[in-house]
Amino acid sequence: MSLIPLESLAQLLAGGLAGLASYLAAHVLLCLLPAFYIAGAMTALIPKETITRYLGRNTPKRISYPASAAAGFLLAVCSCTVIPLFAGIYKKGAGLGPAITFLFVAPAVNILAISYTGTVIGMDMAVARLLLSLTFGVGIGVLMAQIFHQEDVARDQATDALFAGQASIGRAAVVFLLLLLGLLLVGTFRIDLLTQTRLSLELPIAGLDRLQTGLYQLLPFDAARGEEGVTAQGALLIGMLVLIGVTSWKGIEKSLDGLNRWTWLSVGLVGLTLLMASLGMTPHAGGLTLDITGKFLGVLIITLLLGWMLKTQLTEDEATNFLWESWRFVKQIFPLLIVGVFAVGVIRELIRPEWIQTLAGSNTLLGNVIGVVFGIFMYFPTLVEVPIARMFMDLGMHRGPLLAYLISDPELSLQSILITASIIGRKKTWVYVSFVALFSTLAGLLFGGWVDGLSVGLVAFYLFAILAVLAGALWWLTHHRGRTPAVELR
Amino acid sequence: MIKIEVLGPGCANCKRLEQLTRREVASLGLEADVQKITDYGRIMAYDVLSTPGLVINGRVMSSGRIPSAQEVADWLTAAAGEVER
Repeated sequence: MSLIPLESLAQLLAGGLAGLASYLAAHVLLCLLPAFYIAGAMTALIPKETITRYLGRNTPKRISYPASAAAGFLLAVCSCTVIPLFAGIYKKGAGLGPAITFLFVAPAVNILAISYTGTVIGMDMAVARLLLSLTFGVGIGVLMAQIFHQEDVARDQATDALFAGQASIGRAAVVFLLLLLGLLLVGTFRIDLLTQTRLSLELPIAGLDRLQTGLYQLLPFDAARGEEGVTAQGALLIGMLVLIGVTSWKGIEKSLDGLNRWTWLSVGLVGLTLLMASLGMTPHAGGLTLDITGKFLGVLIITLLLGWMLKTQLTEDEATNFLWESWRFVKQIFPLLIVGVFAVGVIRELIRPEWIQTLAGSNTLLGNVIGVVFGIFMYFPTLVEVPIARMFMDLGMHRGPLLAYLISDPELSLQSILITASIIGRKKTWVYVSFVALFSTLAGLLFGGWVDGLSVGLVAFYLFAILAVLAGALWWLTHHRGRTPAVELR
Repeated sequence: MIKIEVLGPGCANCKRLEQLTRREVASLGLEADVQKITDYGRIMAYDVLSTPGLVINGRVMSSGRIPSAQEVADWLTAAAGEVER
């Protein structure tokens, strides 16, 4: 590869840029922007005590496992939270099982990952990822607790006070979260009520059609390969994103004391950008057609309500924390995504579809194992696994192996294996790693079977059979070795 | 002299809490030793479930959130009063 001709190098770069631009224009806005704000609101407005009080050592297992899964969903978008909470649950709280459940669920099933998977790859994939991760997260937790139950007794002596904190979510905060969730749904769901045009407006703005043609020439795309070009609207939106970045930096990053004028400017810009993204814009010679859809009206109503709540219903502290947390997620994850998407665009030019189709083009055991192995050995930063999966899908990967990859990739990376090993020891970590590999493969096979037309009943039967085998193994472990059961279902 | 430890592996929230604390210490004109603890072993030695955590004179004042400037100022004033006595 040392002698890449200049021409094909330029082609690689163009591939990267085109991928990045169309991605920013098409996928980010109505899905990722609200998702970042929801993640911020969850972190800032849900007190951790509402969940951690169910994770103490005296909590019955039938409560602590679901609570761990819920904690993974609600509290953990950032590794800052995941690792201390994992160590805390393991050493001072409910023990190895719930801690493992939390560790498994947290990276795969947070609001950002799910909504992003839904828009970029498809709602079926997002739902499968959510349900199978939750099920197998609890399954792996129970298994681990069972296998290592003798070592699990030696925990730190700690006060129960750590898990006894009481707190509840304010009513305004709940409404605010629900509204944000509504915004995400209105922005991403494709149902008639939302997509039908209610009103068309003609604006005499000339030149946008030429801009669009120019953009298509500058960043060429191949619709046959599932690529999307950058429209004039897309270019406008990218410009708005840059403006939001600048005002947020001024208004949120630089201020330790609450909100200032820049903050409100950035909030206003976010609202405006969402509205622009939900409009249908068709430039043509001599003018611009604006299509006002149900989606636009929905977004308008919800953003107005959100703005009003932010100003009058939330306390100043809540509002500041909410904006700061959201901005922190954007700052932490967005640059990684941009680099990742650019890299995906470049790599895509190098991979031949035949390779992917031969290896994982159908729902075979080998295909699923390859998906999982790739997921374990490749480390991609938070959320970058999603555009990568999209690339594989476009290149012809079957949805089964694709799901296997999507479940295993965020769970396992060298980094997370090392950190986990430092907390629970190497032996437990390797057992955990093999379970994740096994269950991801099973998840891929099941989902792939469903995609290939296996009836829901049969898939449910297989899932049930797997769980039955698991339960049988557990029963054998507890009874045939003369040990006392570690999982007491109180 | 007040001993202050800011617990956190170096994420954005922990840096912000450290900034905030240092600023409040300065504006109250207190004498304090502000340390940033990044080692997980030492962080987990305290009873905290998530970072950032603020420890003043060995006592965990907050964890898992960034307290407001007013809260931090109140804790610092209280701690200064205890140290004098």
